This record gives sequence, C-alpha cells and structure tokens, in this order.
Amino acid sequence: MIGKMIIANVLHRPIRTIVSILAVAIEVGMVLLVVGMTTGMLSQAAARIQGVGADVMVQPSGASLFLGVSAAPMPIKIADLIEQLPHVQAVAPVLLQFNTSGTGGLNLVYGIDPKTFAKVSGGFVFYSGGPLRNPWDVLVDDFYARSKRVKVGDTINLLGHDFHIAGVVEHGKGARLFIPLKTAQDMSGSKNRASIFFVKCTDVGYTDSVLAAVKKLLPDHNVLSVREYMSMMTSNNLPELSDFVTVMIGIAVGIGFLVIFLSMYTTITERTREIGILKSLGASKAYVINAILQEAGLMCIIGIAVGIGGTIGLKILIESNFPTIPVNLTVLWVIRAGALAIGGGLIGSFYPALRAARLDPIDALGYE
Amino acid sequence: MDPIIATEDLKKIYRLGKVDTPALRGVTLQIQDGEFAAIVGPSGCGKSTLLYLLGGLASPTSGRIFVDGNEYSSMTDAERTRFRRHKVGFVFQRFNLLPTLTARGNIALAQAIHDHGYDPHRFQSVTEMLGIGAKLDHRPFALSGGEQQRVAIARAVVCEPKILLADEPTGNLDSGNSQLVLNMLRTLNRSLHQTILMITHNPEAAAISDRIIHMRDGLVIED
Ligand SMILES: Nc1ncnc2c1ncn2[C@@H]1O[C@H](COP(=O)(O)OP(=O)(O)OP(=O)(O)O)[C@@H](O)[C@H]1O
Ligand SMILES: [Mg+2]
Repeated sequence: MIGKMIIANVLHRPIRTIVSILAVAIEVGMVLLVVGMTTGMLSQAAARIQGVGADVMVQPSGASLFLGVSAAPMPIKIADLIEQLPHVQAVAPVLLQFNTSGTGGLNLVYGIDPKTFAKVSGGFVFYSGGPLRNPWDVLVDDFYARSKRVKVGDTINLLGHDFHIAGVVEHGKGARLFIPLKTAQDMSGSKNRASIFFVKCTDVGYTDSVLAAVKKLLPDHNVLSVREYMSMMTSNNLPELSDFVTVMIGIAVGIGFLVIFLSMYTTITERTREIGILKSLGASKAYVINAILQEAGLMCIIGIAVGIGGTIGLKILIESNFPTIPVNLTVLWVIRAGALAIGGGLIGSFYPALRAARLDPIDALGYE
Repeated sequence: MDPIIATEDLKKIYRLGKVDTPALRGVTLQIQDGEFAAIVGPSGCGKSTLLYLLGGLASPTSGRIFVDGNEYSSMTDAERTRFRRHKVGFVFQRFNLLPTLTARGNIALAQAIHDHGYDPHRFQSVTEMLGIGAKLDHRPFALSGGEQQRVAIARAVVCEPKILLADEPTGNLDSGNSQLVLNMLRTLNRSLHQTILMITHNPEAAAISDRIIHMRDGLVIED
C-alpha cells in the first residue's frame, strides 16, 4: 500500500519526477564516463606501450608515467652502452613529441629510427604504403587514418610542418604517428638525444637481470620493466588524473544530492497536509521517514537505470564516431556509481524526511 | 462499567509568542462505551482542541486523559502514536482524503498503517454499509462531498477503532448529504456498537445523538 502511495506521488508531479530522475541519470552517466574515459585512455596508452614489444624502458629521472611529459631528453649514446649489456638484443631510442597543430587535439608523435624500432617491435604491419624514407615522411596508424580520413600520399601538418604520409600501419605500437628520429631531433633542437629507450632482451626471462644491469649502469635514470609500467598505469598512480576524477565524481554526486534534496523538500512542503492526514491515521515518524526515503529511492533507482542505459548508448556513439577515444565500463564502476547515486539521494532526502516526520499533525492538517 | 473516555480537569493553553490562548480551562468528562455523544458550542470554545487531545494528536497543558483505561501522559510519543493507530478513528470537516489515491487506496492505506494489514472482510462490510462499493476506484476529486465523507468514515472505522472522533463531519455538506452521513454514523453506532464523539454546529445533527455536551469558553457547561 505504501508502494501505491509512493507511485501515486511520483506520478502526481511528472515534471518534478523527470527532472529528479534526469539529475540522477546525469550523475551516474558523468561518473561512468569520466572514469570510463580516463581508464580507457590509460589502458589504451598502456597497451600501446606494451605493443612496442620492449621488455625494459629507460627514461630520464623525473619523467612522468605519462610519456612525453618528461624532463630533458637523454644523450643517444646511452643506447650503445645498454646494447653492450648481456642478454640485450636491441635498443630503440625514441624522441617523443606532442603535436597540437593541424586538426586539433593532442597527438603523441614518436621520432623513431626505423631499423632499431623494427628490431624491438618486430616491425610494422603495413595496411598501405611503405616505411619512412625521407625526412618529411610520416607513418600513421589505421585509427588515425580512419578518424582523420587521410590516406597514403596525403599531406598532414604536424609540429608546424607539412609531412607526407608514407604508410598506414596497424595500431598498437606506442604512438599513432611516427616520424624519423633525426627530423624530430632537428625540429625540437635535441640533436643526438632521445626521451626514451625501449630495450628488448634476448629472451623475456632475462628481463629482471637486464633491468638490474641497466639500473646499475644508469642509477640516475628512471628504469622500469614494461610489466611494472603496465601495472602502474592506473589513475591512482597519476595524481593529477586521480584528483581530476575525484573532483568530477564529487561534482556529479553533488548535483544528484542537491536535486533530490530540493525535490523532496518541495514535495513535503506541498504535501504537508497529507502528512498530517497520515499522522492522524496513526502513521509513526518512522513510517513517514520511510515513505519519503522510498520515494527518493525509487527516483534514484530509475535514474540509475536511465544513467547506465544512457552511458552505454553514449559509449557506442563515442566509440563509433571517435575510435581513438575508448570508454571502459566496468561492472565494479557501474555498481559504485549506483551506490553513490543511491547514497547521495538518501542523504539528500533524509533532512526533508525528518522535517516531515516532525511536523505537528494539527498544524499540518490546518495547512492550506 | 468504566467509561471508554474520561478526562480530569483538562487544560490546554496555546502559546503563540508571548500571547497565551487558553482553549480548554478544566474539562472533566466521561463517555461510556457505545455512546453517541455530540459536542456543541460557539466557535472558538475549544471543541476541536478537546477532540485533538482525546485523539492524542496534541498534548494537554495539564490534566489527565484516559482512553480505554490507558492514561496518555504516562505514554511516550511513539506509544501514543501506536495507541491512536489502534484505538482512534478521525473524521474531519474537510474530509482529508489523500488526493492521489482512489477511495479504495485511501481506505486500504489506513489498514496498511494499522499493523494487521489488509482485511478484505472488514473492508467489504464497511464499504457496503457506507454505500460506496461502486465508487471505490474513483479518486476524491471525482466524488461528491457526501461520498468523500463516507469514504473518510470508512477509512476511520475500517480498523475497528474503540472511539470515532468526528469534527463537524457534516459542516461541508448540503442537508441531503448531511442526513445521509448522519444516518451512517447512527447505523455504525447502533449495529457495530461504535462509540462516537461528534462536534457539530447543526442542531439536527446533535438531535440524532444520545447525548449533547454543551461547551463555552473552554468549559463544559451543560451535559
Ligand atoms: N494551533 C493553535 N494555536 C493557537 N491558538 C489556537 C490554535 N488552535 C486553536 N487555537 C485557539 O484556541 C481556541 C479554541 O480553538 P478550537 O479550534 O478548539 O475551537 P472550536 O470550538 O473548534 O471552534 P470552531 O467551532 O470554530 O471550530 C480558539 O481561541 C483558537 O483561536
Ligand atoms: Mg473546530
């Protein structure tokens, strides 16, 4: 019966109900999208690093886990030193560049030496075109080619210079754009320098011993096994990112909380008389609180369902239109977002519920 | 036999800011089980206040109230709420039905709030006796005043309260509907032995009761 009353109340003010449901849906969607896009981006970035095929990576000390946001690049001759260590098969120096010119967005560009990069990575898989031959050649991966609608022979502007697309390669090897190392060095004024060395062992089993040897050789550098790197690529290890995620979740939960609070607050004001009636029928404080929390809970649950459904729809839409932006939805985060929305909604409706429960029945019955 | 309702020197002072309004100034009263009593008196003499106190919706400033052998001031708020749920039914001048629920929903809600839940037999006998069986799926706005008040009476008595407290139940009704509602109350009293305490301004309404209690200025002046 209390259920019928709640449903009748919810239907009585459809606009108020829809707005509350939408607010909760936006809350849930915002949490899921922010988390989904950051983890998606991170796991994609991590997977691309893994795709390079190296076992160990060397960066200058103070380099961020986010490649390229790094300190001054290292002298390239370090590569030769590493190469002479036992069980090292190949070393690929890479100079990272960020491209912001052209069609907008931020692209990571790898300046590579095609020979050593192929030794470490096993070589590119070409969908069309061929390898880098000239200084102003660029290789793009298939995602980039698809989302920017470019093909071999086209000219694109990178780092303020026109490049000629020499080949379209399979995605997954570190970056989406590759230019010759020498060109990258010249353009950034880092002659004979590299920002990262990818080291390939003769066998994966030697990773730990190579790691130890490189650390000993380069004590002031940031030396990591790719396996470690993968496990570290979560937003928890990236303070700027985890702060961003926390703030966004806080805003989302705040929106849900405030809208539910206001919605239930106006509801009990509007229904003061009805609450008086319930009390005259012998409804206890707990009964009144329960009825109002259930009403808020019902709107939250519908809002959560709409939010999850909407997020799945958006994920499909985003991923089909922007293949370079992955959205990771996990069951864990769906549950967390739902729990946050329910929790925020119940806390938001608790004060109105308490006010309703405390109403003096006689005043409430006299209320117009 | 002990009276079903008894009050001893009941006083109620409303305090609004610095102004004290004495609404009841020492009411001592007894109502027997199965009695149909009417309370009459000029506006503002404290009739509604008395009814609210007897129904446990408000607390007296001083004095004692016994209903079915239980004394209110010795009960906690929660106990008084439970007591009201089980022993008291209210009917108001303004019907006070929940507008979002049907007639059936309004009556069933009282049963749901009452711990024993929905009792179809009682539900049917009460709605039949009050002649609202055909209107159960209407919402209040689709019912006439007389029908609304009969639904309100059904809601008040469906849980078999010991006492039915009615505050001007015919105050918003035309004479035909008033008569109908009064007859229903009469029937409830006669056939179900329902104790009824009814406030009224209407001499005809008072005339159908067993007993008329006159009030003035917060006191019972004639019984
Ligand atoms: N909530 C309140 N706060 C302050 N004063 C009140 C309150 N309720 C009633 N009073 C005052 O108490 C006195 C008695 O009021 P009550 O409503 O009991 O009278 P009544 O006999 O029912 O009148 P009526 O026939 O007009 O319904 C009146 O003077 C009224 O103004
Ligand atoms: Mg009155």
